[in-house]
Amino acid sequence: MSLNKFFKHEGPWSDANDSLMCSDTGSWRTKRPVVDKDTCIFCGFCAIYCPIQVMEMVENSHFSPDLAFCKGCGICAKECPKNAISMIAEGDFQK
Amino acid sequence: MTGKKKGKLTKVLDYLKHDDPFSKGVAFCPGCSLELLIRFIPQVLGNDIVITGTPSCSAPVLLGQNNQSWHSLSYFGTLMTGAAANATGLARYYRKAGIDNTVICFNGDGTAADIGFGNLAGAAERNEPFIYICYDNEGYMNTGIQKSATTPFGASTTTTPFGSASKGKNLRRMNLALKMAMHKIPYTATATMSDLGDLAKKLLKAKEAKERGFAFLHVFAPCPTGWGYAPENTIEVCRRAVKTNYFPLWEAENGKIRMTKTVKKPKPVSTYTELIKKFAHLNEADLQILQDDVDYEYCMLGGLSVLEAECQLPVSTED
Repeated sequence: MSLNKFFKHEGPWSDANDSLMCSDTGSWRTKRPVVDKDTCIFCGFCAIYCPIQVMEMVENSHFSPDLAFCKGCGICAKECPKNAISMIAEGDFQK
Repeated sequence: MTGKKKGKLTKVLDYLKHDDPFSKGVAFCPGCSLELLIRFIPQVLGNDIVITGTPSCSAPVLLGQNNQSWHSLSYFGTLMTGAAANATGLARYYRKAGIDNTVICFNGDGTAADIGFGNLAGAAERNEPFIYICYDNEGYMNTGIQKSATTPFGASTTTTPFGSASKGKNLRRMNLALKMAMHKIPYTATATMSDLGDLAKKLLKAKEAKERGFAFLHVFAPCPTGWGYAPENTIEVCRRAVKTNYFPLWEAENGKIRMTKTVKKPKPVSTYTELIKKFAHLNEADLQILQDDVDYEYCMLGGLSVLEAECQLPVSTED
């Protein structure tokens, strides 16, 4: 499936009919956002402000980041009106 | 405990009616406001858009790399000197062929305010039917943080560094959006990433206005790498820029300026500059110069909006 409606080819490069290129941006992360499900009031500010748009709705009750692509910028934690998201260093998860 | 979910989902999500055409892991810095903007535009306007753009921070992602693409939109890469002229050709082709789509010329401030300003002004004068979006990160961020016309007074960049012989840029910044509004084009607006509902409304208005001609959007897009602030502060920087009137939000239809957000008690500009390292060296006197400039721009804007209401355009912009 392709959404590329107007150009079939843009030259020998960047043919959008192939599978899209995707970097392992999750590996850039130094801090991981952890959502406190009980404090989350499901307002959606983290989801709209996330530059990578990786905040996903879980069961219409809270939001959860897709850690495969989250770059760990921390905008979600900063913008959360209830401070329900905390940024925890990646090293803490490897122990 | 079940009664705790008293929050309401933000209305901005209602504007996001379309799919995100971008791949999840794209090569933008963490905390980049440009990434939020470029994902936001097709989600609001739909995927039947053609983006043209120039070498800039957006190009590595929009143009694709090697033989693959980061997104499934149609993109046309052009030179900085002819960005608006290329978009003109595309928009005219689609209009002649009867194909209904939206051509978006998506450029940074370097193209819009410096290198491609000539043909941007030309396209506005000819009232070409496309949307021009300038994401303003106040410098040439992709090539190594050189100053541009929209870099504000006092900002330290690699070509106007802070040191013994230089105290940052010693000139004032260009007010690009006001210049474009003076072309009396169907739609001009300024927007920023802290007010996404406002940005979505302006995008939809621009799409509607491009049926009548040229639409210009100036989007304030801070750069954590180039400006020197923590990536999590991106939205806060936008918010403070609005609250200090450093970057007022307004729109102009056929040159009639209307404020879309008025700040009742504007904060001093130092509450904005304190977040950002490129302003860290400014002393009281420098800050006062910046504050005076901000006040002057805002006062001019208010004055023009009053004058526009009193005076009528001598000729109709309808052709």
